[in-house]
Amino acid sequence: MPTAVKHQRELGDDVQVIFVECQGADRDTYEAFAWRMKWMGNAAMWTDERPMEMPGSGLPQTALIGVDGTVVLQGNPGALGKRLSEALEAEIKKSKQPPAQAPAELKKAWTLFLKGDLAGALAECDAATVPAAADTRTEFLARINARIERVKRMIEAGEFALAEEHTAALEKSVKGHAETAAKVAEQRAQLNDPANARAKEASKAFEALVEKISTEKPFDPGNVKKMSALAEKFSGTKAAERAERFVALSKLRAGV
Amino acid sequence: MKLSLISFAIASLALAGLALRPAAPEEGKKVDYRFSTPPVNAAGIKSLAELRGKPVLIDFWGTR
Repeated sequence: MPTAVKHQRELGDDVQVIFVECQGADRDTYEAFAWRMKWMGNAAMWTDERPMEMPGSGLPQTALIGVDGTVVLQGNPGALGKRLSEALEAEIKKSKQPPAQAPAELKKAWTLFLKGDLAGALAECDAATVPAAADTRTEFLARINARIERVKRMIEAGEFALAEEHTAALEKSVKGHAETAAKVAEQRAQLNDPANARAKEASKAFEALVEKISTEKPFDPGNVKKMSALAEKFSGTKAAERAERFVALSKLRAGV
Repeated sequence: MKLSLISFAIASLALAGLALRPAAPEEGKKVDYRFSTPPVNAAGIKSLAELRGKPVLIDFWGTR
C-alpha cells in the first residue's frame, strides 16, 4: 500500500492526499484499480491532471505542499523515507498554529481563527493597528468563503453526508458574523429541505456502505450486489449514480 | 571517430530532452493549480488554493 494512503487514513482531515496517475490510464481504469487495491474509502483524491511537474523521473514520486502553498519536500517517497513523515508532521503542526511570520499583534486573531471562531478573529483584526491586519482579515474571509463554496458543490453533487459534516463545522465558525452566517444558513436550508430527504438518505447509505467495503474486498460479488441494490432503491439520486458507477467499475477486467 | 560522433549526438539529444522537459518547481516555490475535471473523490475541491492552510501530499503513481 502506498505510504500516502496510510497517511490519509491515519491523519484524516489534517492532510489532503492527491494521487496523480502518470501512465496514461483512463479514469475508469485507475479508479477501478484503486478500489481493487483497497485504497479507496478515505479522503484521498484521484486524478490524471498534474498539479505540478513531477519532481523526478521514474515512479513513484511525491511532493509535499506546505500550509503556505509552497513545495516543502519532493522526490522518491522511498528515498525520502522518514524525512517525508517528519516534514508532514511539522506542516500539520504549523497548520494548527499562527503563521511564524504573523505579527505579534495578529497572533491572537490567528489562534481564534484556527480554533474556528471567525467573528472573534475578525474583531481582533479590526482592533489591530499593524498594516498586515487588513490582509489577514481578507485571508480569513477567503478561506471561510472557499469552504462555503465547497459545501455548495458537495450539495450539488449529492454528497449530503459530507456536506452535513462540513456545514456543522462552518455554523460554529461563522457564528456572530452576519455575512458568512447568512451564506452558511442557505446551505443549511438546502440540507434541511424535505425535497432532499431521499437524496440525503441515499448519500448516507452510500457512504456507510463504502466505509464498510472499501478495506475488505470491494469488488466481492456480495458487495457489488449490495451496491447494486442501493442503486435500485435510491434510483434517480446522485448516490445511486455513484453506486451504479461502482458496479460498472467492478466489471472492468483487472489490469486493463 | 564515427563512434565519438554517435556518442556526441546521443548526449546532445539527451541534453535537449532534459532542456525541453519542464522543470519541477524547486522546494520553496509556490504551487497552484485548478483542475479542469474534478478529481475522483474531490469532495467539492476544484483547486489547490482551496486547500491553503492544510498540507497537501501529491503522489505521482502509475496503474501499470
